Amino acid sequence: MSTLPRTLRNLRRIGLKEYAHQMMYIGDTKAGTLIGTDRFGNKYYENIEEELPLRTRWVDYVNKEFDASQIEPGWHLWMSYAVDKPPTQDKILRTQLREWEPKEHRPLLTLSRSAYKPYSTTRNKYFPWQPVAKPRE
Amino acid sequence: MLSSARSSASMALRAKPSTALTPFRASAAWISTTPPRPATEQQTSKPPGLVAGNPSPPPPMKSVTGKERREVPLPSQEGKQGAMQYALTTLDQIANWARQGSLWPMTFGLACCAIEMMHLSTPRYDQDRLGIIFRASPRQSDVMIVAGTLTNKMAPALRQVYDQMPDPRWVVSMGSCANGGGYYHYSYSVTRGCDRIVPVDIYVPGCPPTSEALMYGIFQLQKKMRHTKITRMWYRK
Repeated sequence: MSTLPRTLRNLRRIGLKEYAHQMMYIGDTKAGTLIGTDRFGNKYYENIEEELPLRTRWVDYVNKEFDASQIEPGWHLWMSYAVDKPPTQDKILRTQLREWEPKEHRPLLTLSRSAYKPYSTTRNKYFPWQPVAKPRE
Repeated sequence: MLSSARSSASMALRAKPSTALTPFRASAAWISTTPPRPATEQQTSKPPGLVAGNPSPPPPMKSVTGKERREVPLPSQEGKQGAMQYALTTLDQIANWARQGSLWPMTFGLACCAIEMMHLSTPRYDQDRLGIIFRASPRQSDVMIVAGTLTNKMAPALRQVYDQMPDPRWVVSMGSCANGGGYYHYSYSVTRGCDRIVPVDIYVPGCPPTSEALMYGIFQLQKKMRHTKITRMWYRK
């Protein structure tokens, strides 16, 4: 709910600079407690008392070109309300604990220059054709 | 580089690295353009593998053409040089902002994926806050979300609807049936992927994809629109 009193109240709490930042990134004015920061630098906030359900946890991305895949797995679990404790309190949610884990979390690389590009070495199964219309007589 | 990398990788995969093949490899190394490196140096310079005790992944290869790797900035990282480029980039940003702020999808709901597409417009995912309003007419829409199995009977209609959409237009292929036939790939009556009929921008995998997945696909489409160089490409021509 974005009412004018709520916006003004949150604006008083967070200050003008943070307000402009949030309007650029979230599009809403929110005030909450900083729960933690992951290795990318994304900041995670929570405000259970005042926000509506499913809007109580949010993330402040460090990148301007943000993407939900930049959230680390443990934090993603916390963000989607699968667990109660964030990875700062729950050790099992942290990355790099298990040997089989990738050393670093990679976000989705689609639409970047590192995107996966498949190529085939076999002949195509179908080909484009140029349709020719017979002239009317 | 390629041949030496491949040989070192195959050596690493072998349980007991035999040295019998090394003279042959060394004599064949004149084919490759780069000077051969001794195998011991490569063994020591390798990074540790992902799993302890297993061989490490092969060293990074050169490109297919054999050229040196070149770091190219992303379209978003390219700076603005000169007044003309500044003006055109700013114009592009404004146009892209306007475009991605009001995506009006043409609903091409064909099967169960359309249910998830409807969920996207309901209050939980609330696509209206992104400016996305479903239109029933192709002449008022920017995006076509092909949700569901595209059959041979429906394909001409899909193409006609796509042709009726005004430029600029985008297509989101939703679900494995629209991506490549999916479950019905071997059916006699199913078009194996809607990319045989229309050019597709975003493929959303899943059977059916969740509403979050479709919304993520829409975010990817918005990212693609943000990086489109409209006036810059026009100026370059």
